[in-house]
Amino acid sequence: MMDPSPHSTPLLLTGRKVLIVDDDRLNIRILGGILKSDGYVVSDASSGERALEVYAEVRPDLVLLDVVMPGIDGLETCRRIKRAYGEKSAPVIFITAKSESDDVVEGLLAGGSDYLPKPFKPKEVLARIRTHLQNRAMAEQQALLVTQLSKANASKNRFLGMAAHDLRNPLASIRGLAEFLRDGVAGPMNADQLDLVETIHSASQAMLEMVNELLDVATIESGELKLHVEKQNLSDLVVKSVTLTNMEAVKKSTHVVFEASASPVIATIDKAKMKQVIDNLLSNAVKYSPPGSKVTIIVTEDPANNGCILAVRDQGPGIPDSERDKLFKDFGRLSVQPTGGEKSTGLGLAICRKIVEAHHGTIKAENLPALGCEFRVSLPYPR
Amino acid sequence: MKFTGPILVVDDEPHIRKYVSLILKQMGVTQIFEAGNGEEAVTVYQRDKPRLVLMDVNMPRIDGIQALRRLKEIDPECCVVMLTSLTNRDTVQQALDLGAENYIRKDTPKEEITQALSETFAECFGSEEPPTNP
Repeated sequence: MMDPSPHSTPLLLTGRKVLIVDDDRLNIRILGGILKSDGYVVSDASSGERALEVYAEVRPDLVLLDVVMPGIDGLETCRRIKRAYGEKSAPVIFITAKSESDDVVEGLLAGGSDYLPKPFKPKEVLARIRTHLQNRAMAEQQALLVTQLSKANASKNRFLGMAAHDLRNPLASIRGLAEFLRDGVAGPMNADQLDLVETIHSASQAMLEMVNELLDVATIESGELKLHVEKQNLSDLVVKSVTLTNMEAVKKSTHVVFEASASPVIATIDKAKMKQVIDNLLSNAVKYSPPGSKVTIIVTEDPANNGCILAVRDQGPGIPDSERDKLFKDFGRLSVQPTGGEKSTGLGLAICRKIVEAHHGTIKAENLPALGCEFRVSLPYPR
Repeated sequence: MKFTGPILVVDDEPHIRKYVSLILKQMGVTQIFEAGNGEEAVTVYQRDKPRLVLMDVNMPRIDGIQALRRLKEIDPECCVVMLTSLTNRDTVQQALDLGAENYIRKDTPKEEITQALSETFAECFGSEEPPTNP
């Protein structure tokens, strides 16, 4: 399992490996002595070529590198190390005879992290080395943490997916069997019994929707969202969603109006997934608008961006500025409440965003000047 | 079209069998057999010779795909429709490649299942019984 508090213990640097590269044996001896006194494990090389061999062998955590050496010089050695090991290569500190600024600049350009001027002052040597080793240790720890977190997140998604999947069938049965009871298949029911059965039906329906949303999130997050895009008449798709939403909206005396553009808008989309986005935006608009409102949906070409736009306008309270960031995030439920006691998982818009982004589009929400809010989906046409 | 059976419903979850059977009864199907796994499905198929098999995909031991393969070996003409809960395209395609007629999402509303079943009846048996118009 993961260490919950990675920074609670000070980073232990004893035992870290330092490679000293210098053609002057005396320098190696002096530096080696200083380093060993602080608990570092020291290896050395007397040339650039040899340094590369030793590096491959011991994989040091830090390299002290002389600039002027026969054969390949320090700068070239540094470049080769950086080229061979990339981001994972150990920090390189150049040893410069005089703190000549030219050497220093060239060393830093070659990928060095710092420089140590000769003659060595033990305290300075140790302080500089400690800083770089600490940075490296911290970076390693963070990389490890990121790996652990992504693994944990992936297994959470797998679990979420499995749980949601297994819950779905029984819920569908409960809902369906309640329908049979309600419809009198098992005999007539009195008003009280009917009320109870209706409650079972609507509760299982709500739960099924919730579970479906969880499953969507799990699928999307695990990178298994696959689009099957085809050319579709976006307006036709909207008409279907509007009809469906109006069946629910009528209960709140709200109605959804489709303002179609003069000519049909054809987009290359995954029909089922995009319908999910439209359904979600419409049902949200109804959910958060006061009873008796008008919800407008618009589909239009967007020649400026070589794409099309789908916009849903409601007459709700709008989105508080402070909560704008949460809107499209998982479980980002806002302080704004549905006006008819409807349920919300806070996942719908996160799913919408992920589907739209998978289509290389964008989704935004803006409060309208007078009242309500507009959700705008921009979809690019394929090149 | 009206189809009265016999139909075999295969699912390891009893509530699904009950639910699907109720839908079938409401559609006028009178002869319904049930099986709780792929093995049982093969046995019941050979014994009761159902005209149509509605079969779950995910079942323990012998899953729907394996059972489908066996049924097709026994009777290449047998009419099998898969019951799925997720449109896993790969699995669906595999079933269709093995000769399943179609697939039905069992987690959709009753009306949609009914609709899908009546389309299946029409596809599988539509040509057999000419409508008896008075």
